[in-house]
Amino acid sequence: MRPLHGAWAVFVKETVDNFRDRRSVFMALIYPFIGALLLGLLLNFVGGMLRGQGESKLVISVQGAEHAPDLIAFLNRAGIEVRPAPPSPRAAVRAGHVDAVLQIPPDFTEKVEALDQAQVKMIINATRLSTVVSVSRVSQQVREYAVQLAVQRLRALDLPDTLASAVRIDNVNVGRSRSLAGFFLNMLPPFIIFTIFVGGVYLAIDSTAGERERGSLEPLLANPVPRWQIMLGKAGATMAFTTVAVLLQLGAFKLMFEYVSRGDYGIRINPGYDAFVAAFLVTVPLMAFATSIQMIITTVSRSYKETQTYLGLLPLIPSLPGMILVFVPVSTKLWMLLIPTFGQILVIGKLMRQEPVLWSEALIASASTGLLAVLLLAIAARLYDRDQVLFGG
Amino acid sequence: MIEVHSLRKRFGGVHALAGVDFRAADGQVTGLIGPNGAGKTTTLRVLYTVLRPDSGSALIDGLDAVHDRPAVQRRIGVLPDQRGLYPRLTAREHVRYYGRLHGLGGRDLERRIDALFERLEMAELDKRRVRGFSKGETLKVALARALVHDPHNVMLDEPTNGLDISASRAVRALIDDMRKAGRCILFSSHIMTEVAALCDRMVVIAHGRVVANGSADELRAQTGCADLEEIFLAAVAAAP
Repeated sequence: MRPLHGAWAVFVKETVDNFRDRRSVFMALIYPFIGALLLGLLLNFVGGMLRGQGESKLVISVQGAEHAPDLIAFLNRAGIEVRPAPPSPRAAVRAGHVDAVLQIPPDFTEKVEALDQAQVKMIINATRLSTVVSVSRVSQQVREYAVQLAVQRLRALDLPDTLASAVRIDNVNVGRSRSLAGFFLNMLPPFIIFTIFVGGVYLAIDSTAGERERGSLEPLLANPVPRWQIMLGKAGATMAFTTVAVLLQLGAFKLMFEYVSRGDYGIRINPGYDAFVAAFLVTVPLMAFATSIQMIITTVSRSYKETQTYLGLLPLIPSLPGMILVFVPVSTKLWMLLIPTFGQILVIGKLMRQEPVLWSEALIASASTGLLAVLLLAIAARLYDRDQVLFGG
Repeated sequence: MIEVHSLRKRFGGVHALAGVDFRAADGQVTGLIGPNGAGKTTTLRVLYTVLRPDSGSALIDGLDAVHDRPAVQRRIGVLPDQRGLYPRLTAREHVRYYGRLHGLGGRDLERRIDALFERLEMAELDKRRVRGFSKGETLKVALARALVHDPHNVMLDEPTNGLDISASRAVRALIDDMRKAGRCILFSSHIMTEVAALCDRMVVIAHGRVVANGSADELRAQTGCADLEEIFLAAVAAAP
């Protein structure tokens, strides 16, 4: 008899059995694509928005363009196309028919020539995020026009240009990947962590809590196989489903980036295959960790429903730090690497953003999570050895 | 051979077993009889190693069910009250699974399965998934699974529960065969006609204790009742 024949028999049976279960298969084979699909759609949408910026044409509605031919010419030179405003500008902006309306009063040129302060109005709808880019660009151009006028006036008085603007701002962007790329890449780790905690979840529930409820756990435990091997076989099958889910998800993300970066979206982010392979390796100890927790919960909970409730909530907890890191990036500290999921989020984030990852960082995160996984698995084995495993609790 | 000595087990404040003693010999069918909640299932669970007693001992072929668990497990075949099948597996996959857990495999295992399916007249169930099986079909799968490793001691919890007449007869024939082959068979039931038809000895359990023990004739003599149901009721009523 081979040394782990019992664990192997359990592993094979659970894998075959759950491959025939729609819920298990959905979680492992279909669910992983949802993240890539969502992120792809988001990138598509943002790409469309960004096209309004930079090289391409921006259109703005102007009311009273005839009162400021000089300003209109200035805007045209900046690549902004001017169109007549609709009859009731406020309603049109509120309804979203136009992004914004620039209102120029009849006395504009008169005031400019009298060296007075001329006024324009921008009618905007701040609740519509998609207009942010166009509105800010038009406002900026109007301000630049104002500075240019001021400079002309100063020169006429023989005064230095610098009086026109006391402070000049030069933006220096040090983000490694361009524009919004980093933000989107930061969204990958939470998706991956979530998959790690749900990929094999139905198998974990079905193979212990479900087995207990069906009454099949009792005859199973009467077989000449140590209980820790039975538990190990079930944990192995759970981890196999999780592994497939994570591999599929990473593949889907890579495909999505290939597609988006080739398309006309103005977004050029595409982490290499090496980054994805490294990310997978980093998740392996975390998968063992997730499996161990699932085994413990499914062993001690009293029913299938109860297990489902706990294990349904579980993925939210480890995904939270990742969600926060999407918006508030932090610098890596040792204690962070020691915490399961947190360390992986940091390392996977770096891999995806194509920042250098230290071997020590990846090792510390993997070793601490791996050790905890082994410890939890040992606890699960102890729990399986109690008579209570038959009844739950 | 199965021997049980002063078996005790408590669940919270309830004494499920309050000192159970009996013996089931090889080549005999021993019936474990008692009202619902008397302790039959708990006794069987201790014997088939899934429950540890608080005190006392359960021996199978002289091996202790707690301390020699793996050796005991190799010598027993178990049919629990809840049959516990996997709806998505076929009949053959069920039996093969348990065969593998017993360290069997390859052609030897498949031959054993073929023989069992023939004996239990279930060849047509072979490749069908068990979801939707009738009670009789479910029982056949569970029995084949329990017997795949050819155990010397067989424990059956309510084996004919819910079966139609022909299926019950088939099970009785199988039990009779196993007795003739010299095996030790312990089964629990509360159907007296079945017990009378099959058992060499009867162990009546009530309130976690053995209240009567012996062959049908011995019990008639002990209780002074002629009818088996009367014997049963008299023994249970006399219990403290």
